[in-house]
Amino acid sequence: MAKIHPFFMPKWGIEMTEGTVAEWMVAENDTFKRGQTLCLIETDKITNEVEAEYEGIVRRVLVPAGGDPQPVGTLLAVFSDADTTDAQVGEFIAGFKITSTGTGSRASEVDAQRPAAPGSSSMNEGIKSKRAISPQALHLAKDLNIDLEGVEGSGRGGKITYQDALQASRRSVIPTLKGTAELAEQLDGFYASPLAKRLASVHGVNLSLIVGTGPRGRISKSDVMAMVRAPTLPAKPVNKADVVPMDKIRKVISRRLTEAKQNIPHIYLRTSVKVDALLALRKSANLILGIQASINDYLLLATAKALARHRDVNVQVHDGAIHHFPHADVAIAIASPKGLVAPIVHSADLMRIDQIALTTHSLIETARLGKLSFEDLNGGTFTISNLGMHGIEQFDAIINPPQGAILAVGAIMRVLCEVESGKACFESRMTLCLSCDHRAIDGVAGARFMTTLKQLIEEPESLFAHS
Amino acid sequence: MQLSREALLRAYRQMRVIREFEERLHVEIMTGEIAGFTHLYSGQEAVAVGVCEHLDHEDKIISTHRGHGHCLAKGCDVGMMMKEIWGSREGTCKGKGGSMHIADVAQGMLGANGIVGAGAPIAVGAALAAKLDGGGRVSIAFSGDGACNQGTTFEAMNLAVVTKAPCIFVFENNHYSEHTGWKYAVGTGSDIAGRAEAFGMRVWRGDGTDFFSVYETMRDVLEHVRGGNGPAAVEFDTERFFGHFEGDPQRYRGKGEIDRLRKVRDCLTKFRTRVTGADLLADGDFGRIDAEVRDLIEKSVSEARSAARPTADDVLSDVYISY
Amino acid sequence: MAKMMYREAVQNALFAEMERDENVILLGEDIVGGMGTDGGPEAIGGIWSTSVGLFGKFGPDRVIDTPISESAIIGAAAGLALSGKRPVAELMFADFIGVCLDQIWNQVGKFRYMFGGKTKCPMVIRMAYGAGFNAAAQHSQSVHQILTGMPGLKVVMPSTPADVKGLLTQSIRDDDPVIFLEHKALYASSGEVPEGDYTIPFGHARLARAGQDVTIVATGLMVGFCESVADRLAPEGIGCDVIDLRTTSPLDEEAILDSVEVTGRLVVVDEAPPRCSLATDIAALVGQKAFASLKVPLTMVTPPHTPIPFARELESAYLPSADKIEAAVRKIMAWR
Repeated sequence: MAKIHPFFMPKWGIEMTEGTVAEWMVAENDTFKRGQTLCLIETDKITNEVEAEYEGIVRRVLVPAGGDPQPVGTLLAVFSDADTTDAQVGEFIAGFKITSTGTGSRASEVDAQRPAAPGSSSMNEGIKSKRAISPQALHLAKDLNIDLEGVEGSGRGGKITYQDALQASRRSVIPTLKGTAELAEQLDGFYASPLAKRLASVHGVNLSLIVGTGPRGRISKSDVMAMVRAPTLPAKPVNKADVVPMDKIRKVISRRLTEAKQNIPHIYLRTSVKVDALLALRKSANLILGIQASINDYLLLATAKALARHRDVNVQVHDGAIHHFPHADVAIAIASPKGLVAPIVHSADLMRIDQIALTTHSLIETARLGKLSFEDLNGGTFTISNLGMHGIEQFDAIINPPQGAILAVGAIMRVLCEVESGKACFESRMTLCLSCDHRAIDGVAGARFMTTLKQLIEEPESLFAHS
Repeated sequence: MQLSREALLRAYRQMRVIREFEERLHVEIMTGEIAGFTHLYSGQEAVAVGVCEHLDHEDKIISTHRGHGHCLAKGCDVGMMMKEIWGSREGTCKGKGGSMHIADVAQGMLGANGIVGAGAPIAVGAALAAKLDGGGRVSIAFSGDGACNQGTTFEAMNLAVVTKAPCIFVFENNHYSEHTGWKYAVGTGSDIAGRAEAFGMRVWRGDGTDFFSVYETMRDVLEHVRGGNGPAAVEFDTERFFGHFEGDPQRYRGKGEIDRLRKVRDCLTKFRTRVTGADLLADGDFGRIDAEVRDLIEKSVSEARSAARPTADDVLSDVYISY
Repeated sequence: MAKMMYREAVQNALFAEMERDENVILLGEDIVGGMGTDGGPEAIGGIWSTSVGLFGKFGPDRVIDTPISESAIIGAAAGLALSGKRPVAELMFADFIGVCLDQIWNQVGKFRYMFGGKTKCPMVIRMAYGAGFNAAAQHSQSVHQILTGMPGLKVVMPSTPADVKGLLTQSIRDDDPVIFLEHKALYASSGEVPEGDYTIPFGHARLARAGQDVTIVATGLMVGFCESVADRLAPEGIGCDVIDLRTTSPLDEEAILDSVEVTGRLVVVDEAPPRCSLATDIAALVGQKAFASLKVPLTMVTPPHTPIPFARELESAYLPSADKIEAAVRKIMAWR
């Protein structure tokens, strides 16, 4: 029975990685006995005699004395018993691979070309590796043509796992980072999970209001989130309408406004007027005349006078005909208990400011009592609607048919304006917006009217001039 | 002998209850109804009763795997113990302990114990508590000739001496540690008390098959320990009528050994002979107690058989007080 | 708040509880020290100086210096607990559970259950654990993986002086047996401790650092390492949620799972060997209950499966460190 003994570079101590054969004490074909010194081996620390652990014949010395250091596990010589033939020794040496002499590299011995387990397929040609690799990892490496050099095996003894191979197949990525988060107070006495505390601080939830449903009665994420969602998930909102049937006036308003908005092609002309002079004049005029005329009254007067000068605006529109009027019957929009009403100041252009004040005062009172007559409301050539007292800066009004136009008056505001040579000062201004029935009033006609009106307001003394 | 008639009747009844309990279990176990390991106390009744007749519920005892006798002598409920051995949820430990872990802390019974030698250190702790509380209470560790060889027992004896704990180490030498003889296993020439003495405490010896010997010895021991003189040890020589556990073929026993022991070393027979001989109690007294105890055990067995079984949910309770 | 060392926090909690409740009793080897010597009692005050001054204040009946008899110490504590006291036993080194494991495991941990819930065993077993002092294989171990696996016991592992105080106070007041593991390398560490009486409930992890990219779970000495790693990585925008478990039994599963659901990455750091351990337990938990949230395979930073070596180089190679933890976090962040 042939018995071949390979002789390796030994490993003495955990730090030894290589050694040098200093001297052979036996030569090829020598017979040696157990205990006989075979060679001297040097490491960086010691020189040691190697004694034979069995008897045999030196068949081949592969590493001569005095050469370079050899890694632990290097085959240095081959010994055998007398029955072994040269051919057997040659075959043994040819088949030898640096391996398993306790160098810890046993895993590297596995030939990747060999099926790693019974039943594994033989499709593995093409990937050649001396490294230990799992069958599935090898399949993957072949399928994806993965270069296994440099792959760090995470398995036992550095074996490449499927996961390792898959990682090697992928391009490196830069992870999307979410970063650090705020650290909630720890010793605050609240028995809440860390995430619950963090969420509570993010959402401003007061933990003391929560009864925990988590383990050991602790406040959990879900307990906090329930508080967060609470305001957005109320019981189905109840917003039941109080149904009020339209009364006669409201029905009329409704019908007329709908008709107006649907049938009349509106055109809107907007301008801003300076009212500092008017405000000053109103004060002294009211004092002199002993009346309490409002800004509206002055506006009404100015509008009426402008209308009288621009009869192409002072119109009513009836089926296929435009009715021009010599005098201005100006309606004023008033909020009454019964809704919006627009009683008329007839031939206002012929009135003085004190007469207008008296008239509007009377109409407003009557409207408040709900006692306006048909006469008070019928006809009119123009309407003024003022929402300035409610802070509305400007708006567009719907024409009150058959009238041809309506003036929407905004709030008086102090605004910074440029005066001469780049200087600025504050002025009191209001925005006026004229809605015209474009079927009857052209834009230019409306604009001219507005220019006149603007002039009357900005130079209000002319309101008192004899016209 | 200063025992009253009532005390004598009670002592006999206690021993009889233990004997009847164990003899009945010996029979019932053969039917396969009872699960697990059961170690019977028959033969040693005089020790448990002779010791515990001196105690009340404020004195503590801790027992061994052979614990039924100590439990019964210390006042555990017969019916609940039987239910526990049957594994009922109505048992002393809700079916979670079984024969080897019967405990009733309220009665001062800190538990039978499945680990040989584990009880002695615990008894020292209970004794330290008694010492702190004042009032002359004691704690008693029952150990056998097996447990006397455990390091824990040595540690406990030394700690008790060092801390002057009012602890009494009662060694019941029934001559067998499991299946091994005392002459082999106790290295001090079979002298257990002498070993305890070497730890630095006073020791006593008594006949564990004779109630009166045990009772009177314990009176002296307790007087010493309750008097604040630190721990003490007692060795009672006694007999085990059954095997180590039920099902033990007892091939280690001598031929006819058990028959002989039951004839000459039976504590119940000895008690009866002595008491009737002295005209303290009459045969009728014994007959009445015997019948009463038979009924009691019969009733406890039939109740245990039909008692409520635990459910899978019961597995999860009683691990922690809060978790 | 007062600045206090970890060991002072132990002494502080013991003192306060002994003063509050006369049933609190200490016992252990050398917890007084000097008994039976010319130096006299209190020559030592515990080898970790955790019981300094207690003997003088509370006397020999409540501060019981024992022989070197661990089974007797734990057994006696158990007997005291069954008799209505609240003993606090000290094992000088956690490694010594080997000589008294029966009392801890078969007795203390099981009384309540075996006795059908009819008794309680309120006791604390304090023990110094952990490596870092080249104390080699029998005086350096982290034994929590053994004890955490034992039903009936609670296991506490404080990492800061503040937690020592709150958790030890809770341990003493708790009605179940509690193993209180003090890391010997932390005894000299100091930190702010709230004044007065407070407890920290068990099973309530502490979030030591908050981040949303990776969850790091740790206990005891390891927590500080993880905190420094979190601080190193924060400037790079990598946010680490560092969870200090505080107690391993009960385990704050929720804190771990909540965090992993946010981060999708888990690094478990454990000072005990890697097999059948706290680290594997947490890995299994996350594998079962947060698998869907994991973006990458979880990883563990633990010592190797070897006894603890002696030499400085070997011990530091053995132990997890901030560098090793940082490397693990970087690796997990680079997962593709």
